[in-house]
Amino acid sequence: MRVLQELIKNKYLYSLAIPGFIFLAVFSYAPLSSHLLAFKSFQLQKGVFGSDWVGFDNFRFFFDNPDWLKITWNTVYLNALFLFFQIAIATLFALFLNEIRAAVFKRLVQSFVFLPYFISWLVVSLMVFGLFNGTNGIANRLFAWFGWEAVDWYQTPWVWPIILTMVSVWKNAGYLSIILLASIVGISGDYYESARIDGATRFQQVTKITLPLLRPVIIVLTLLGIGKIFYGDFGMIYGIIGDNGVLYPTTDVIDTYSYRALRQLGDFSMSSAIVLYQSVMGLLTIVIFNAIVRKIDKDSRLF
Amino acid sequence: MEAKIRENTMSERMFMFVVYAFLILAGLGCLVPFWIVVIDSFASEKLLNKGYVLFPSEYSMEAYRYLFKSNQIFKSYGVTVTVTLLGTILGVFVTAAFAYVIAHRKAKFGNFLSMMTYLPMVFGSGLVGFYLLIVNWLHMKDTMMVMILPYVMNPFFAFIFVTYFRSLPYEINESATVDGANEWRIFFQIIRPISTPVITTVSLFFSLQYWNDWWLGLLFIDNTNLYPLQILLRQILNSQSFKLFSTGVLIPPAEGLKLAMVCVTIGPIVFAYPFVQKYFVKGLTLGSVKG
Repeated sequence: MRVLQELIKNKYLYSLAIPGFIFLAVFSYAPLSSHLLAFKSFQLQKGVFGSDWVGFDNFRFFFDNPDWLKITWNTVYLNALFLFFQIAIATLFALFLNEIRAAVFKRLVQSFVFLPYFISWLVVSLMVFGLFNGTNGIANRLFAWFGWEAVDWYQTPWVWPIILTMVSVWKNAGYLSIILLASIVGISGDYYESARIDGATRFQQVTKITLPLLRPVIIVLTLLGIGKIFYGDFGMIYGIIGDNGVLYPTTDVIDTYSYRALRQLGDFSMSSAIVLYQSVMGLLTIVIFNAIVRKIDKDSRLF
Repeated sequence: MEAKIRENTMSERMFMFVVYAFLILAGLGCLVPFWIVVIDSFASEKLLNKGYVLFPSEYSMEAYRYLFKSNQIFKSYGVTVTVTLLGTILGVFVTAAFAYVIAHRKAKFGNFLSMMTYLPMVFGSGLVGFYLLIVNWLHMKDTMMVMILPYVMNPFFAFIFVTYFRSLPYEINESATVDGANEWRIFFQIIRPISTPVITTVSLFFSLQYWNDWWLGLLFIDNTNLYPLQILLRQILNSQSFKLFSTGVLIPPAEGLKLAMVCVTIGPIVFAYPFVQKYFVKGLTLGSVKG
């Protein structure tokens, strides 16, 4: 009753939220019901709610296949690599950019490194292919110039975590560095002023003032990344690797795996089991890490 | 005086050298791939078969001629432009209005709505539910709507709006209420005009998202008439596109076509980039404020 009263009292205000509410309900909440399918044997005619229960059979099937370990490891390992190097390079970048006094140079460099953020992974995939394809890729032509043997990159699984990390840094570090640079600019000039009077070098100012004051932002960015550590970047992996099975051992992530289970095998139940497993792991990670951060640095926690 | 001397010491200069070297290398590293893609799209097919080069020795417009000979590219452009425009307008309106309620002091359920936005970011529904929703429940496969509606309500952009709306002085709202304006009028006639900067920023983020998306097209679009640019690009990159181009040319310039298609796809972004970049920077700065 109180709820209704509040709604009626502010009916004009709440009515503004109706479209958003509907979109959330339809596109974010209604699909949640499909998690039920993880415990069912899905039949198209019977639908999500009518299909027969099968208990944990789908999970048993998924966990019996050693693939689950591989894709879980790949997802976490690749995301950890991406996260670490993106943040490390972006921080370095923001610190360096901040040292530049020449405004034009600064703006130009900033524009260049932000540019890759604006293109789709498909466009990136062509660039990667031009660089690494086995027959006439730029990398192999450089190798030949140095007198090294050519590498058939697209047939060599172990190099891909490195290549993908480089690509992810290339695409996202510029974007992260802008967030970091904004926080650096927000640091009061007084700190630097007094450090200079005490005779600190520029390098010391960076390590002793800027970096410690950036810590909260870096922690938040890391936390946001860790929260998504069980969610592979489908656009990136599928865009660049596609259906190249040779590279699956090092590049296949939960998202590409469940996509193939659904689209190529048409196995809705199995795909649901994978997705539910992924959602639960993702939720656990964020809760645990938030608890840890709450202990270390209360102000940096997410909730 | 003392500080000035220190600035010129050897180690200081070494430090600056490293800084400049790093930045120049990074800047070039980000720019060169674009340069290669653009300049090589005008290179002759014979040259491209030997791999990409920084400075082509032979130029040709063959790839573009081939690309524009069929009307598929125009259809796809139409689809992407329509999706981007409609999606952006709808997205900004829905997301901003929702965020306005969350940010409003009078709304007791603001926290509930904010929680409702946040939860799906933490516990997703995943591919299967989404696929069934679109295909079996909403029957939106192979429609323009399927490329628009799923992204309309965006939690991340909503929080950008919330942060901005909370920064506005509440007196504006109070005085308008006293003057007898209802919340719709306040939102559209008072809040909207003073929120132009954040609206611009979020609009650009929306446009970028719609323009670059190929996930929805990949899942739900099989009808070639509805292919957005990104899906057409994907078909061309996978060399599966030749049936889309019913032209008289016997041997299509496959490599050049890929590059030309990439240029056509990223063209509007690259041209708009110098003018809109600052709004994106502003948006990231706003979004990074926790709240």
